Amino acid sequence: MSDNAVRTIGIPRSLLFYEYGVLWQRFFEELGFQVVVSPPTDRAIFERGEAASVDEVCLASKTFMGHVAALAEGDQCDALFVPSFDNSDIRVGFCTKYQALPDLVRATFPQMRPQLVTMRVQKASDKKRMRADYLELARRLGANPRQASRAYKRALHAQEASDAARAKAQQETLALLAKYRKVVASDRTGTEQPPLAILLVAHPYIAHDPYIAGDIVAAIERLGATVLFADEADRTPALKRSFEFSETLPWMINRHLAGAVLQLHEQVDGIVLLSAFPCGPDSMFDDAIMRNVQGVPILNLMIDAQSGSAGTETRLESFIDILRFQGKGSYLHD
Amino acid sequence: MTDDAQKANLTQDAAQGTTPDSASGMACARAEDATVGVPISDDARTQVVFQRDEPRRAIPFPRLKKKVKRDRHKRTKVSVFRYAYYDPAFKFFVEQVLDCDYLQLPKATKRTMELGIQNSSDYVCTPFKHMMGDWIEALELGADILVQVGGPCRLGYYGEMQEQILRDMGYDFTMLNFSHGIEQGYVGWGKEVLRTVNPDIAIPHGVKQLLACGHMLTLLDQARDFYLANGGFERERGVYRRAWEALMDEMRATTTKAEIDAAFTRGMERMREIPLNKPADPVRIGIVGELYTAIDENSNLGLDEKLMDMGVEVARTLNFSNRYTHYHEENMRRTIAEYAEYDMGPTSTMTLAAAKKYAQLGFDGLVHAKCAGCTPEIDCIPVLQRISEDFHMPVLYLTYDTETSDTGLMTRLEAFYDMLAMKKEAK
Repeated sequence: MSDNAVRTIGIPRSLLFYEYGVLWQRFFEELGFQVVVSPPTDRAIFERGEAASVDEVCLASKTFMGHVAALAEGDQCDALFVPSFDNSDIRVGFCTKYQALPDLVRATFPQMRPQLVTMRVQKASDKKRMRADYLELARRLGANPRQASRAYKRALHAQEASDAARAKAQQETLALLAKYRKVVASDRTGTEQPPLAILLVAHPYIAHDPYIAGDIVAAIERLGATVLFADEADRTPALKRSFEFSETLPWMINRHLAGAVLQLHEQVDGIVLLSAFPCGPDSMFDDAIMRNVQGVPILNLMIDAQSGSAGTETRLESFIDILRFQGKGSYLHD
Repeated sequence: MTDDAQKANLTQDAAQGTTPDSASGMACARAEDATVGVPISDDARTQVVFQRDEPRRAIPFPRLKKKVKRDRHKRTKVSVFRYAYYDPAFKFFVEQVLDCDYLQLPKATKRTMELGIQNSSDYVCTPFKHMMGDWIEALELGADILVQVGGPCRLGYYGEMQEQILRDMGYDFTMLNFSHGIEQGYVGWGKEVLRTVNPDIAIPHGVKQLLACGHMLTLLDQARDFYLANGGFERERGVYRRAWEALMDEMRATTTKAEIDAAFTRGMERMREIPLNKPADPVRIGIVGELYTAIDENSNLGLDEKLMDMGVEVARTLNFSNRYTHYHEENMRRTIAEYAEYDMGPTSTMTLAAAKKYAQLGFDGLVHAKCAGCTPEIDCIPVLQRISEDFHMPVLYLTYDTETSDTGLMTRLEAFYDMLAMKKEAK
């Protein structure tokens, strides 16, 4: 297998793409490759993934396989980037799914034409080790050390800038909400309603995937509430904060979410926990959040490959109604 | 000037009414004192005396006596979750290493399962529910300390979550959770044990007994392998099971490595003496899967026994000692290099390597047993399908949740066995 023949690299728009996508894209571009990212998830992509996967895997994994199939079938790329994220990091590791992904793709699509470009990220929380892993990948792809370290530097900066911009935007939204609340509180007539803010706690590949959670985000906004994404909170302080929540929680993404919940739960009116069925980490994490975060109403939503969204919308509607009534005092004071 | 001499000097000073040294507890302000600034004639016979806050001195004598480890202490009852045939090793660990009393749980019942289901979130993996049931029963029986292990998948979070659920239910206990202290490895775990369970463990003795405990695990697995290979071919029904139970009882009574060895030798002799009716080429089935469900008879509804009853030679590489005591993931992965480039999960490499080994050894079939929702083992399935295709070896995939009826399982196993037997005859 000669990696040097690779011209175009395809990246599935799924799973950790939502966490590291900017970095990956920029990294390969800086190394002189063309990058093709699969289109946002739609029904066709999902169904293709579902057909290729074992029944029992999680929704997100099925989606991922759909994206791989979409990239592999079109003649758009001659290699697919599927990294393996090791969970040797005991406290800030990943679900074993990310470890297995390259081999899983190989076993699921044995006849696939594009070759796989894989790498092993040993410790995502350790910047030096992560850099070394990416440089090793660049070397395998035929870049010289200087090119490689320059590409990684730029890619990392791009990713950090994008994350920081998101976190900043979230802070601005929060400041704006606080301002509105003040205005409403000073309004003696009582005709103005305070704005509602909902914290959506979900893995980034669930929360930002238009097919999986698009309807839910849209529904919350249509009901007149502002959606704040927990995964957009600044990661480093959130990870630090998460150790107050739990000492042994093993997953980085869940730690990020837990830290964000701790930081933001006083500034929002309600929390929506959104999980894809049957997400391993969330099966325990949701329970932990429900048990430990008191004082904010929480709605726990589980999504599967259902075709209609009426059921979830009803639940969201009633949840937001409850929040509105609570904001007014209680049901009795209307 | 030595301390004593100084002290004597100071007392003298005080007696004479002169300005004492500043180091003394008492100090005097005289007329000349600039801070007071009030002139007093030299004839004054009194002086203003005040007490100064002096920094506490360090205790002059270091504690020479080393802290003595007590050999008697309040007995605490320690309980470990039910897990396959490993309770003799758990008992040995608790009594010999932790120096506490072991709470032997009775056989799991339907109630255990129900308690577990009631108090766990719905779609957490099944071992969590089994263990929840075990803990509640253990606490009802008066356990003081619960021992939970850690692991690289969801298992690493079991301890904390279960502790919280049990506390929310109102139980009072200590949990020895090996997810803590994992950063420092054995040292961290050792500290954790001393901190939470028993600070009086004599460490050299504890380490010696811990090694003996590891040895016992290896021997138990060895005996089990022999039992699985031959138990299906006994002439008189039930003899093997009785020999196995006797071995387990003897193992439970051991207190040293020598006794463990002796019990193992006796037990193996008894099993070897049992007359067999084994055909030259029996149907051979390998069991692979997830570490808890594929081994634990209670949660896989007696998979081993069911296969053996049909007259099958069963093999299972997956066991505690192969996974922990002598496990080299990278070398094992070399044997399946064409199927897996990376470590795919806690037991994935072992599952795949064992599957390929069984295929190469000409086994007739493979049973893949796992609990519902076990992500790493689900991810093994596509790879197992490849191995199955490449070696023409049928695989039966079993997913266990909290069911208690084994009728469905029996039907599937019988059909699988019939198919394998027919295939074998046709050869």
